[in-house]
Amino acid sequence: MDILSLFVVVPVITILALFFSKGLKQSRMIAMIGSLVQLAMAINLVFAYVKERAVNDAIMVFTRDLVWFKEFNIHYAIGVDGISVALLTLTAIVVLAGVFISWMMDDLPKEFFVSLIVLATGVYGFFISIDLFTMFVFYEIAVIPMYLLIGIWGTGPKEHSAMKLTLMLMGASAVLLVGILGIYFNSNADGGALTFNILEIAKVNIPFEAQKLFFPLTFIGFAVLGALFPFHTWSPDGHASAPTAVSMLHAGVLMKLGGYGVFRVAMFLLPEGAMDWSWFFIILSATGVIYGALGAVRQNDLKYINAYSSVSHLGMVLFALLMLNKTAWNGAILQSLSHGFMTALFFALIGMIYGRTHTRDVHKLGGLLKVIPFISVVYVIAGMASLGLPGFSGFVAEMNIFVGAFQHTDMFHRVATIVSISAIVVTAVYILRVVGLMLMGPVKNEEFKNLPTVRWYEVTGILLLLIPITALGVAPLWISDMIMESIQPFIQGVIQ
Amino acid sequence: MNFSYTILIPLIPFVVFLLLGLNHRRIKPAVSGYIGVLGLLASALLSYFTAYKYFFTVPKLEGVYQQITHKTVWMNFTDTLQIDMGVLIDPISVMMLVVVSTISLVVHIYSRGYMKGDPGYTKFFAFLALFTFSMLGLVLATNLFQIYIFWELVGVSSFLLIGYYYTKPAAIIAAKKAFIVTRFADLFFLIGIITIGFYTGTFDFETLNNPAGEVITNWASTSFMGLSVLTWALILIFIGGAGKSAMFPLHIWLPDAMEGPTPVSALIHAATMVVAGVYLVARLFPMYYFIEDGFALNIVAYVGGFSSLFAAIIAITQHDIKRVLAFSTMSQIGYMMMALGVSGYDGHEGVGYMASMFHLFTHAMFKALLFLGAGSVIHAVHSNMMGDMGNLKKYMPITNITFLIAAFAIAGVPPFAGFWSKDEILVAAFEHSKVLYGVGLFVAGLTAFYMFRLYFSIFHGKKTNYEHTPHESPASMTFPLLFLAVMSIVAGFIPFSEYVTANKVPFEAHLNYPLAAIAVITGLIGIILAYVFYKNPTEYPAKCRKAFGSFYKWAYAKFYWDEIYFFITRKIIFNCISQPIAWFDKNVVDAFMEGIGSGTIQVSEKTKKIQSGRFQDYAMAFVGGAVVIAIVLIYIFKN
Amino acid sequence: MSFSSLLIMRHEMLLLAMILLLIAGEIFIPKHKKSSLVHLAIFLFGIQTAVGFLSLDTETLFGGSFRTNDMIHLFKNILNVGVLILLLQSADWITDKLIGAEKGTEFFILLFSSLLGMYFMISAGDFLMFYIGLELSTLPVAALVAYDAGKRKSSEAGVKMILSAALASGISLFGISLLYASTGSIYFDVMAIEMTSSNLSILGFVLFFAGLGFKISLAPFHFWTADVYEGAPISIASYLSVISKGAAVFILLILMFTVMRPLIDAWQNMLYAIAILTMTIGNIFALRQKNMKRFLAYSSIAQAGFILLGLIAGTQLGASSIIYFVLIYIFSNLAVFGVVQAISNKTGLEHMDDYNGFYRTNPMLSMVMLLGLFSLAGIPPAAGFFGKFFLYTAAASQGYYLLVFLAVVNVTISLYYYLIVLRAMFIRRSEQPIPSIKNSLYMRLGLALTVIGILAIGIYSPIYDYIHSISSLLN
Repeated sequence: MDILSLFVVVPVITILALFFSKGLKQSRMIAMIGSLVQLAMAINLVFAYVKERAVNDAIMVFTRDLVWFKEFNIHYAIGVDGISVALLTLTAIVVLAGVFISWMMDDLPKEFFVSLIVLATGVYGFFISIDLFTMFVFYEIAVIPMYLLIGIWGTGPKEHSAMKLTLMLMGASAVLLVGILGIYFNSNADGGALTFNILEIAKVNIPFEAQKLFFPLTFIGFAVLGALFPFHTWSPDGHASAPTAVSMLHAGVLMKLGGYGVFRVAMFLLPEGAMDWSWFFIILSATGVIYGALGAVRQNDLKYINAYSSVSHLGMVLFALLMLNKTAWNGAILQSLSHGFMTALFFALIGMIYGRTHTRDVHKLGGLLKVIPFISVVYVIAGMASLGLPGFSGFVAEMNIFVGAFQHTDMFHRVATIVSISAIVVTAVYILRVVGLMLMGPVKNEEFKNLPTVRWYEVTGILLLLIPITALGVAPLWISDMIMESIQPFIQGVIQ
Repeated sequence: MNFSYTILIPLIPFVVFLLLGLNHRRIKPAVSGYIGVLGLLASALLSYFTAYKYFFTVPKLEGVYQQITHKTVWMNFTDTLQIDMGVLIDPISVMMLVVVSTISLVVHIYSRGYMKGDPGYTKFFAFLALFTFSMLGLVLATNLFQIYIFWELVGVSSFLLIGYYYTKPAAIIAAKKAFIVTRFADLFFLIGIITIGFYTGTFDFETLNNPAGEVITNWASTSFMGLSVLTWALILIFIGGAGKSAMFPLHIWLPDAMEGPTPVSALIHAATMVVAGVYLVARLFPMYYFIEDGFALNIVAYVGGFSSLFAAIIAITQHDIKRVLAFSTMSQIGYMMMALGVSGYDGHEGVGYMASMFHLFTHAMFKALLFLGAGSVIHAVHSNMMGDMGNLKKYMPITNITFLIAAFAIAGVPPFAGFWSKDEILVAAFEHSKVLYGVGLFVAGLTAFYMFRLYFSIFHGKKTNYEHTPHESPASMTFPLLFLAVMSIVAGFIPFSEYVTANKVPFEAHLNYPLAAIAVITGLIGIILAYVFYKNPTEYPAKCRKAFGSFYKWAYAKFYWDEIYFFITRKIIFNCISQPIAWFDKNVVDAFMEGIGSGTIQVSEKTKKIQSGRFQDYAMAFVGGAVVIAIVLIYIFKN
Repeated sequence: MSFSSLLIMRHEMLLLAMILLLIAGEIFIPKHKKSSLVHLAIFLFGIQTAVGFLSLDTETLFGGSFRTNDMIHLFKNILNVGVLILLLQSADWITDKLIGAEKGTEFFILLFSSLLGMYFMISAGDFLMFYIGLELSTLPVAALVAYDAGKRKSSEAGVKMILSAALASGISLFGISLLYASTGSIYFDVMAIEMTSSNLSILGFVLFFAGLGFKISLAPFHFWTADVYEGAPISIASYLSVISKGAAVFILLILMFTVMRPLIDAWQNMLYAIAILTMTIGNIFALRQKNMKRFLAYSSIAQAGFILLGLIAGTQLGASSIIYFVLIYIFSNLAVFGVVQAISNKTGLEHMDDYNGFYRTNPMLSMVMLLGLFSLAGIPPAAGFFGKFFLYTAAASQGYYLLVFLAVVNVTISLYYYLIVLRAMFIRRSEQPIPSIKNSLYMRLGLALTVIGILAIGIYSPIYDYIHSISSLLN
């Protein structure tokens, strides 16, 4: 069993084990152990990757290729580069944190953790696949559990939100499917065999007409998951209704599939299409960036605020990807990572606050710094990270994006860039609004005077997310270089 | 020459911050106070040692103070463009090190008395340490990005300290305002930085500032709307500086920032952070001076000049003593900006630059003193309002004396520190433009007036009867006052032109007696007026108010700038942009997506009838369908 | 004609023997032991299915009017497996409802004779045999549909069924005669050569197609479906939606790819329209259904629409993906029908809202339902995903991207109503949920087989590879 396939096998084993578990204690223990193993594997993979990279300069390392459906030349083909390694680690951490946060999940715990791990499996599989078909399979596996997760364990108008989210994402994947088929049937442009293998397809140059036709399909198909304006509306409702751990995984990991897919598939395989369409999607994504930020300013539900800020932050990712240069792409990946940790942290905290105060309305809350200091302080830190304060991951990512975007000298790009940059002020506004209303000020509600203090599993969950945020922010050089060098071959594909 | 140890100067406070911050529940207040003070003491001593080592032991190359940098890569943007982290040792950074660590140390000591018994005592020291760390890091920055990084950190620690009394709504609002306004300015700063990085390929001060280097020699290479892109960049960067240094029109956050504890106001909003803008311009001075013949520099000069006048006028009308001091700070910083703006580069030309730095130095001392004095008064009277004070001289002698010294210093009375630096500024202004000189002179007069208005109405004036008689503050507070008082006297005698000059070449600065005389006289006039008005309660002030009528009202209302901002943010941005977007998102974008779904279901409902359940209909459909298909096919097939 | 060559008709003869045996059993087995008939029938059919997998060599009988080859053999086996599972799932129902009412044996006899008809239809080498098979496969089912005597809906369904069937086969026969007129033969191989795309032959083809379209329930020949399914006993509805549809698809596949190939330009256009029409109508109507049987009727219509995606490609890829899809569809649909039947047998409830909170009382059945529905909706790792994906691929390979796009949009719509069922079972709560159901061994086995099928057929690729190698026999 190779080091990568384990990332799919271990969760599957965990799921099987969960099926035989009874009650909360057993199931959460199994889930925790499973995710711990995953994290250990992820960390091990990072080191293994660095060692491997030193001697092996292939685009993807640890590759494994098994024929699956030979008629269609479908393979179970896996491999990783710096980017997928980073994102795998992100996933492992967020999943583990998610398990800790849902430590007290008393309603159908077994089923909950099963669905959670299924989702994780999909994500892991997606990040390691280099075969479009395999990738797509895992993509859908990752998305579908959301329906039950939100539907069964959610709050508020959960049925509607769950249905809406699932249908919009599945609709997107439908569009994506056509795009993938389009790429597949043009993968023999240079007279080779039809193939789903990304690296193979990258070698052929797909005819321009095909690229023009299929780029938007592929891009939108993925970008909807990345909350591309105006297809973002599933995310606020979805997040608002989802249980804490699900919001964490969803915003923290699942939405990253969008950016990653755009980068790996749309950009890498259809570069000319990307060039041809970039103006259009730049407008959308830049709009998304500022739109999401401004939208967040007026929301009163904490989860909505974060959902919109996600729209803004992930709009930044797509925007950066469309800038088609190394620095911006590096920024995009870093932003995915940083946003992953940050939003996961945010949702975890919101979950804790909600669990204690039973409200998410910033106007009803107030003075939490006095009553639950730890959570509040971490919330402030998370807020600072999300408004791009130096010393936290967000800053590093955004600076890369801005510097990268600025390398386009024409007016259009300049304007778009300035618009996106200006979002950082609006971000400051809505973050401080929440901090001011919710954490500072006098304690509004007498019942809040004695809220239960934070528990060990909550602290563990928080620290799991907080540490990477600061680590990335204080010493970005190493990871950023690791990503940068993995971007190199992709950017070359785009340039020529 | 190895100065790499200077990294410790910011790092020690950072360690202190972590130490106090991470376990502020466990550490006893007394202990944490000592930790803070000791940490700062270490930094301060290191800075003094550095100053000594740099100015007196490092040999100059052809009489030029050399720049010493130690740096390492922090992050790569491209193969050529990266962010470094390191320390840059040159006259101004060393000078700033001394100022920041000194004032911070003093404030730490002072706070031990002032904050005694405060629930968040330890937290407070942690924040102070954090701020000191960021400020020192800012000072030592080797490149634009590093300075930006610490710039932001300074901003956030200022946010934390202003909002220190986080249950007080006013404090919250002030903190948010300060952060957002500066953040807004930083947006331009950032764009400026990126522009420079893109067009020059470096953020490094050494490369950028080299008068003979690529950057400065062919600034004209790319232009945008008639100006060199670099000029634009410099203007943007200055906007950033203006934000932090509360220059007009970005000054509105400074007065509110006084909601923070008084030691904080002394440290951040008088001596150190607010001069960061000045330091930034000074840091990039060669660029400002040489690129496009100092186009950007002129803007600096006039913005500075106007701000100083604007603030001085408002200061006269305020009643909250901390606000008076706040506006006075703004006005003095305007002075420094103006001085930079009017400065030349070589030799005596560069007197403005020197004067600006000089004034920065002296101002730090006496303004901190003023604030700490005010703090000690507030501590005794439990009020910020002049109205509640008067005749305090007999209760708090030390505060009285030190405050008086500071007032003389700022009023530019010889031999106090302010006189020397201010005189140099006026000289520089005089040589550059008579208008600015006039402004400067007038402001000098106003400064003397409002400062002594303040002094007299606190320590003299009406005999107020206090419910519990005020008494002198403890030694921990008075010692800093005395120390600073001494500094505000001696600081003026430092031959600054020997150390801090635009081109790093020492020059001979000598008093320009006529100008000095005029300045002093203006100052004295101000003082005398204040004496007449406020020594003992008189009706003159009321008369004047009438005389100025609406102008007074305007000035008193700070020319309604807050209201203007409030209008723009609340009314325009929130209600006219954000609100509609929220609405649009719900009722247009989302509604559309929902519509697709419900539309499909509608169709499903509407088409119910088709499935009638009657076999005849089915048969019709069956046969009809087949026939239609056949016809269509044959038709299609035929062509 | 030697006896050995009669072995070619192994399936048919064994089935015939079984029918006779059951008649004998009906006569000799005493009343109170009748229930043993069920075990006997299932046991026998199990053997039939097993024996079916023994290899069979390619030959023709009766001067080419009956033929067999590996592909036809495979078709029959697929149908056998389907029927076996169906029998397992209906065992309880038969024992409880029919045996007592003296109708057990007839049920088997009718069912098997209809299956026999399908064998002949698939093996047909000329239109005569085909037509005989078609009739034989349809008429007994009409009787079965009306099996719930006393239930008004059931008898009405029976009538509708028989009328529609008569109409369909009539029109189909007319079409065949026109084809005969245009080619001068009823032998497939001859016709394949003679066939020219004249107006006459197109007209003939369309009418003939209508006949099969009725069995596959393609729009606009689908109207009978919902009413009949609703009225019929569940196992018969399931039989109609799975077995008879499957058989019809198989023969249609054969005919389209061989006899009708010369008309390909014509029927590609036709299928394009019909595919879209069928998928959309099926989905749109399914959206608002609350009765599970009606709901499944429309869902099966929509599914039929997807099959056309493979057909329209007209390539071997298309053929193999169709066979593959039908195989998967049989398992998936049987899984769903199985659960519906299990519930209905014990409680008689068929309304969607009755399923609220079902998971909390019957997790296992719910999981089976979940798998079945996911497979129908085409969500990995359920086999349905692979089936659909390959159908898309087949269509896309001929450049029908727009068609594929419309298809995937339809999948999204279908996902909605499949999720509604899951919503009822998993998400919704109810005061009195259906109590925990205790299933017989037969039912469990029947469901287990479907689950295995759903999980294995997709991921275990050799199955597809085999089908693909077989499908080459078409051209």
